[in-house]
Amino acid sequence: MLEARDLSELKYQDATMWDSVGHMQLMAALEDSFGIEMDIDDIIEFSSYEVGKVIISKYNIKIDPVA
Amino acid sequence: MISFDINGLLMHQRNRYPVLLIDKISSVVPGQRATGIKCFTYNEWFFPGHFDDEPNVPGFVQIECLVQTFIMTFLCMDDYKGMKTNFVSANNVKFKRKIVPGEILSIEANLKSFKRGLAIGFVTSAVNGEPACSADFVIAVPDVFSRFKPKSLA
Repeated sequence: MLEARDLSELKYQDATMWDSVGHMQLMAALEDSFGIEMDIDDIIEFSSYEVGKVIISKYNIKIDPVA
Repeated sequence: MISFDINGLLMHQRNRYPVLLIDKISSVVPGQRATGIKCFTYNEWFFPGHFDDEPNVPGFVQIECLVQTFIMTFLCMDDYKGMKTNFVSANNVKFKRKIVPGEILSIEANLKSFKRGLAIGFVTSAVNGEPACSADFVIAVPDVFSRFKPKSLA
């Protein structure tokens, strides 16, 4: 079970759910939730929570710091 | 209307005897839906074992018939023709009717989403208009899927 405080250290394949299938599902969920279509390069580069925040910001989406 | 006989199926998907189960795809709308047919005769490898005194189609065979129809919703397209597929998940599986030798399973597959080598959809089937097996599937196409894995660990 992931805790919010763990997110900053979270990397691809660190969590069971973030495997290759989970990655595609995560990308699809982000696209659906924010109404965006991510570039292939961004999907490939999205290898951690922190990198993901930077990538997502390119689409004018801001992830608020975890309380 | 696009359809595939057994030779068309052999060209578009990688399943082979004794795993290739469906007989034909009677219609397909690429990227949306496909209709398949499976005719069961007693001359199937599983009937003598399931069961010798009461032959009927095992559940896993029914599911495989459904998924073989489902994958044709995208393998019918030139970009994906002949690619191998892997199960990711099968959910909400229901068996509503026993299927016996001599019966024909009519299968309706619907593709809800196909992005980056991940296909999501649902499939229903019927025998003589009576509901049979149904399921929700997530299927991966590894050759497509692997292009999108995060770079550092790909």
